[in-house]
Amino acid sequence: MTQQPQIELVSVNKHYGGFHALKDISVTIAKGSFVALVGPSGCGKSTLLRSLAGLESITTGEIRITGETVNETPPRHRDVAMVFQSYALYPHMTVRENMSYSLRLKRVPKTKIDAAVAEAAKILGLEDYLDRKPNALSGGQRQRVAMGRAIIRNPKVFLFDEPLSNLDASLRVHMRKEIRALHERVGATSVYVTHDQIEAMTMADHVVVLKGGSVEQQGTPLSLYDMPATKFVAGFIGSPAMNFVSGEITGDGGSVLLDLPGRPILPLARQATPGRKVEAGLRPEHLSLAPPGVPAIETRASSVESTGSVTYLYCGGDPEIIVLSQEREPLSSGEPVRLTIAPENIHLFDPQTGLSIGQAAG
Amino acid sequence: MTRRPTPLLLAAAVLLSAIYLFPLYWMYVTSLKSGSEVFAYPPTFLPESLDFHIFAEVWQTRDMASFLWNSLVIASGSMAMVAVLGTGCSYVLARYRNIWVDIALFLVLMLQVLPASLMITPIFVGFSALGLLEYPRFAVMIAFTAKAMPFFVILVRATFMSIPGELEEAALVDGNSRIGAFGLIVLPLARNGILVSAILIFMQAFGEFVYSKSMIQDVTLQPASVGLNGFMGPNTVEWNKIMAYATIYVTPILAAFVLLQQRIVSGLTSGALK
Repeated sequence: MTQQPQIELVSVNKHYGGFHALKDISVTIAKGSFVALVGPSGCGKSTLLRSLAGLESITTGEIRITGETVNETPPRHRDVAMVFQSYALYPHMTVRENMSYSLRLKRVPKTKIDAAVAEAAKILGLEDYLDRKPNALSGGQRQRVAMGRAIIRNPKVFLFDEPLSNLDASLRVHMRKEIRALHERVGATSVYVTHDQIEAMTMADHVVVLKGGSVEQQGTPLSLYDMPATKFVAGFIGSPAMNFVSGEITGDGGSVLLDLPGRPILPLARQATPGRKVEAGLRPEHLSLAPPGVPAIETRASSVESTGSVTYLYCGGDPEIIVLSQEREPLSSGEPVRLTIAPENIHLFDPQTGLSIGQAAG
Repeated sequence: MTRRPTPLLLAAAVLLSAIYLFPLYWMYVTSLKSGSEVFAYPPTFLPESLDFHIFAEVWQTRDMASFLWNSLVIASGSMAMVAVLGTGCSYVLARYRNIWVDIALFLVLMLQVLPASLMITPIFVGFSALGLLEYPRFAVMIAFTAKAMPFFVILVRATFMSIPGELEEAALVDGNSRIGAFGLIVLPLARNGILVSAILIFMQAFGEFVYSKSMIQDVTLQPASVGLNGFMGPNTVEWNKIMAYATIYVTPILAAFVLLQQRIVSGLTSGALK
């Protein structure tokens, strides 16, 4: 028997009155995997997570957890734990009471509860704070208590609803690593909602990109980066975002002519329909300064930012092209630059549908 | 800029509160005056001799134990009914947002506008038809509960609204039923607001007059407010005794308010969560 998926969403639809919030969403989540639901605000990712938890009901479709349909099951019988964006710690209870709440509701013997609290507190480094109330804790500590409340239950599924968005940047990077380490240690299936593509890319095994209530693309983080199925995914994944330049396939079908001053022609790694209008996607990190004699985009650096490790070049005006270089480029703003890109790194999208044309190789 | 009040504002505040509290002062002073001193002109601002026997005498002759007991029964019963019915109502009005909730809130505010003296006639007729006037104290409790409910609902609804919905959702995921989440998470957090509002309702009910006066004919069932009214005839001269009665009636509730005022004010102004 092949391993049964932990969570299956089959053609899930959700309507709020006249608003179609989730559109025919189907996702399969393997046991023990870490799945990120990512997308801009209002894309339905939180609604989807809340439907999984049972806090929202879905209009049509089916949600299965370990093979069991849970459409009508109330949250308490789904065996899922959730970490909320606001942490939602019970303010009238101590850390110990917060963490043990679910076990106390299940009438687990006190000795077992104490052992479970002690273990969770040790994992999360909360031993010294067990008798404090949540309002006497820092943001990071509250975050840990919220996670402790989830792991103590040993549930089938962990649900995270933008758990890091209330933390400051450095703590966020730290907690990112910690959540991922925790996931590996506990081994439970995790579903993680975020609007931050970096969080999704760094933490998840499987990323589901949502837009306007439907799944835009799903796959491993690197497959989304290498082979974005749509212009939206291409622009959403990666930082700084991909540059888009409209253009046209040349007569021989082997190059693309870009709508930029100087009408640069860049060779492609494969054949395309001659004369077809396209939207070319060029990742900032794939662009580089061209050696003489290579076909290149002739433009001007409007601004140069160096962070020490990398250099950001902002070139041209309409559209602006951002270049991310690992070198310390000896350029100053206003200087002319020539940019090139390896043919296999050029992504092409249909200007009308936004769908990828062919696949950029590798 | 300092927030310290200027002497002028301070003086104005003292003056205004002196004017406002003067009747209270006059009540205490008059109760301690002798019968002739009450009518002395110019009036004395401090009684000539202190005679505390008047309180015992009034307590005895006016049978105040019975009146105050009835006040206590009516106030406690009304408070309990308002608290039990109003808490559920406020919770629903705080958590759901739709056209029916808006209509309900509007009606609740409308009720607050209608004066008791206007409402008493239809209430009397209706209660009479239902046979409720056979149990007059209970009838007063029901009528007063209806009147006090809007005030309670509006205060307690604000308390519930200050409790984030995510806490309840966390409780649902943690294993609570809807009712369990309300009882174990929401209610403890709203406790202060509910208690304070209930105390205010109690104090109002303790002084309730219009409904009691109209619906309770039997003297042994009347509250102290009606008893005080019965004390004052057209030819009343015993102002010192009436004021002694009022003093006995008002002082406990006043003392309770002074003792609790810090908690009442903080309970009304601060949210449940910090």
